[in-house]
Amino acid sequence: MTAIAAVALGGLPGPIILVAAAVVLPAMAARVLGRLVRTALLLALPIAISAFLVNLFFFPGATQVLFRIGPIVATVEGFGFALEILIRILAISGAVTLFYLTTRPGDLTLDLERRGISPRVAFVTNASVQTVPALVERAGQITAAQRARGLDTEGNIWRRVRGIVPIVGPVILGSIAEVEERTMALEARGFTRPGRRTLLWTPADSVRQSIGRWLMLAALVALIVVRLTGVLG
Amino acid sequence: MSHDWPGPSPVTELRTEGLVHRYADGGVRALDGVDLHVAAGERVAIVGQNGSGKTTLVRHLNGLLRPTEGRVTVDGTDAAGLTIAQLASRVGLVFQDPDRQIFAGSVRSEVEFGPRNLGRAGAELRDAVSRALEATGLAGEEATNPYDLGQSRRKLLALASVLAMRTPVLVLDEPTTGQDARGLERVRTVIESAASEGRTVIAISHDMRFVAESFERVIVMRAGAIILDGSASHVFAADAWDALASTHLEPPLAAAIGQRLDLGSTPTDASLIRALGP
Repeated sequence: MTAIAAVALGGLPGPIILVAAAVVLPAMAARVLGRLVRTALLLALPIAISAFLVNLFFFPGATQVLFRIGPIVATVEGFGFALEILIRILAISGAVTLFYLTTRPGDLTLDLERRGISPRVAFVTNASVQTVPALVERAGQITAAQRARGLDTEGNIWRRVRGIVPIVGPVILGSIAEVEERTMALEARGFTRPGRRTLLWTPADSVRQSIGRWLMLAALVALIVVRLTGVLG
Repeated sequence: MSHDWPGPSPVTELRTEGLVHRYADGGVRALDGVDLHVAAGERVAIVGQNGSGKTTLVRHLNGLLRPTEGRVTVDGTDAAGLTIAQLASRVGLVFQDPDRQIFAGSVRSEVEFGPRNLGRAGAELRDAVSRALEATGLAGEEATNPYDLGQSRRKLLALASVLAMRTPVLVLDEPTTGQDARGLERVRTVIESAASEGRTVIAISHDMRFVAESFERVIVMRAGAIILDGSASHVFAADAWDALASTHLEPPLAAAIGQRLDLGSTPTDASLIRALGP
């Protein structure tokens, strides 16, 4: 919701207040601010930097010159728009990272099931959440194994590109093999059995949390309506 | 970047001094001041419960991990100044899970990968590959896709792929896990053959019988430190059992039988039979 609201909100102050209130403050309360900043920046920086530069230098129709680097001109309008894009990207990556850092995958799966989502869909959601760290860990292990056989992943670009092949192969093949084994293990434990199932535990969900969620959803809908109807200009 | 070893022809002795490793700032000391010297040609087994620091220790020997404190020297050269590729020419490390290294479309290409990275080519490369395949019982499988081999043979393939690098030091992480009897015998033969060529063999294992039978020196680790270091007779003798139990290890059955019959330290089947007499 934070990510959608950041896009729906116009200008610069709105998204900044939103990031402070919906990302930074909750992260401080959950004591994950340091990790959140590191991870969110890591996720956002490649696209944020390129988006910032493209808008700063190539904003269409801009006339006010900020500075020049040779034939390339940075414009005031481009700078303003680039900042707006930047804060939105940070809001999206911050919100996604906050969700990952504060939600246990098991809780997410159970809560989805509790709300009537099919176990298959809930499992796929859970697996997607866990896939990235698992792949990163696997890739790290495989890189170590190939470097132990003399694979040089340092040095010039060509050497690095050649070094990718022996790493990508086992990562993909291993992941495919793992999916097959995991599927069979799930089937062996009755995962595809039809009918109702019981939950091992129910994730805590207080009335205040529930009210908070509904209020945020209402605010988001109101925001979109206001933006679409142009009440705030 | 050169893979050649700097300096004169080495004899390959390994040394760690006050080796400390933390995986994260302020985290647990996975290695807590390990001082170790392994002379050229030794056969050394490292045992200990999971999390005792065995794998962390051996990964320092070829630079995959770097010390948080202390240092590692290979042939007297500080490993800190050497790349992993340079260290890989001296210390070959076979990982526990073969599926985390196999990538080639054929057994031959897989085994050629390491020696090629070290700059071997032509007859030297062909000879290294065929000898490694012969030693691991994979001769004749050169064209086979590695994923058509069973788990036990894939593990032997991973071993062959490092053997072919002809490194003076061979480090094996859990070489017997997942091996059938024939595979186990192969691993034993490879270790004996490497030792007979003067190569140093270091292996991590939970199989105490294999350890007692194939290694002249046994190092027991607990919580990132070495708590026992000596011959199999010494480490599996009854007065060391309390220390073994403190890291959830049991001596081999032959040692337990020998102790029960008051025959002294009999860590191997052969030593037990000898002690039982004619």
